[in-house]
Amino acid sequence: MYQFLKRFQSLDRRWVFLGMAISIVLPMLFPVHFPTKVDERVQSLYDRLEELEPGDKVFVSADFDPASRPELEPFFRANLHHMFSRDVDIVIGSLWPFAPPLVTPMIEDLAAQHGAVYGEDYAFLGFKMGNELAIKMIGDDIIKAFPVDSRENVTADLPIMNGIRQAQDFELIMSVSAGFPGTKEYVLQIQGQYNLEIASSTTAVSTPDYVPFYKAGQLFGLAGGMPGSAHYEQLVYEDYPVEGVRMMATQALDVLNLGHLYIIILIVFGNIAFFLTREVEE
Amino acid sequence: MITLPLTTTGFGIVPLTAEVMTLSNLAGVWVSIFLTLAIFSFLYEDNPIYKLAEHIFLGISIAIGATEIYFGVFKPNLIDKLAEGRLLSIIPLMLLVMLLLKVTKKLDYMAKVPIAFIVAAFAGVKLTGEANANLMTQVAQTMPDLPAVYEEHGIWSWDADGAGVFSSIFLVLGLCACLLHFYFSARQTKSMAVVSKVGIIVLMLSFGASFGYTVMGRISLAIGRAQELLGLDKPPIEMTIGAGGDPINRMSLVRMMSLTTLIIIIVFLAVWQKKRNHQED
Repeated sequence: MYQFLKRFQSLDRRWVFLGMAISIVLPMLFPVHFPTKVDERVQSLYDRLEELEPGDKVFVSADFDPASRPELEPFFRANLHHMFSRDVDIVIGSLWPFAPPLVTPMIEDLAAQHGAVYGEDYAFLGFKMGNELAIKMIGDDIIKAFPVDSRENVTADLPIMNGIRQAQDFELIMSVSAGFPGTKEYVLQIQGQYNLEIASSTTAVSTPDYVPFYKAGQLFGLAGGMPGSAHYEQLVYEDYPVEGVRMMATQALDVLNLGHLYIIILIVFGNIAFFLTREVEE
Repeated sequence: MITLPLTTTGFGIVPLTAEVMTLSNLAGVWVSIFLTLAIFSFLYEDNPIYKLAEHIFLGISIAIGATEIYFGVFKPNLIDKLAEGRLLSIIPLMLLVMLLLKVTKKLDYMAKVPIAFIVAAFAGVKLTGEANANLMTQVAQTMPDLPAVYEEHGIWSWDADGAGVFSSIFLVLGLCACLLHFYFSARQTKSMAVVSKVGIIVLMLSFGASFGYTVMGRISLAIGRAQELLGLDKPPIEMTIGAGGDPINRMSLVRMMSLTTLIIIIVFLAVWQKKRNHQED
């Protein structure tokens, strides 16, 4: 027993990686389903969006890249589907240079499904350089921040921009954020100054940093990491079903649970091995 | 209910939900699979395939970043304005040149001027936001209105992730203990040592939560890649390679490509390892 525990402690890390790969791939090939409870922060986000009236305008800041795509794409797609289904007008912008090539196909795909007209029902203003300064500009004068949209149209001439001059002219702001610049900068730079209603979908790594913003009422909703996206997906596609849709985050959530279980087992077993062998050695 | 059309454009890196997959689509899928597995090969050991993928990634990232900065910043804010004859734009151009002088030995002191501008501008932008949204609002949140909290959540509410009077008091005590832990000039009495220990426990709980979320984020990324490698990221439609080819299930095709690429990489690693062992002997 002592020898086994001793050997376990010096186990080659590659076996741990292989175990993790198996615990991820197997439940994908043979799906399992664990019951989930929708997080209160996601429910709050969903409920506020449900209050929107047709014709209300929402600004979506798509600030993510391919590295954060697995966590944020499901939310982004479900969010656009949710708002298109409610006939909400959507204006999208981005502060991340890698976002436009990533999100453009998603936007066009969903707009086509809903028969949304570019410039009237939705618009993509493209990428804006400048981090916090760009956010300040969005707060002060969004037309100045994005003089032309992603299709080289003059932003001020788009019908959807009628009556929109600055961030507070939007009903809500959705920040789909993978880090800097993102939700935190929106909260710090313009949320308090203009008393804006902002919600965030963010990566798991950033979630602990944003929870205090939600608790303080600076965010009205927060979908954190893969579970946040999965809960939002479940709420949206239950009320606004789409035949044949793949709920990527929901599918991933069950796999995530097994991955966590694997890590927990390793930590617990590793600690038991450490203490038992130490006791024997002493 | 909305029914997804089978011929929607792609979402993600590889546009391939069309019923007919062109050879360029196929090459795109293969490149995506190869680069993913090449990066994962680092888990075995640093190797030439990983290095290749790493260099491709860095090269493409820098190229895209440089292009975006040129077309997003330099062209509209400097080049176009200079071309229109707006001479005020010469000032940022001069600052830019002065910043680049940092690499010279004789004139590197001139870079201090633009650096001072950058530091001052960012300090100005950051200060108000941090003071208002981060400091004042968050400090206010550490002084909970207990009667209001009790009315909303009671002592403890399972539905609201444990919100309630207990959590609010724990928050205040935990915060005080953390602050006192860092109060190094205080005399280390027995009671102070106990408070400090409580502060450490609260800090460890906080680091543990952050670490847990980080682990979750990393596993999520691995799941995202696995979904693509197994063809689970898009509907399993029947498709043909080129017009008039035999129909094949998209998911099966992607899995076949992933498996083949994995075998090729494993064989390469085995040969490379054997060669390295031979050289070491």
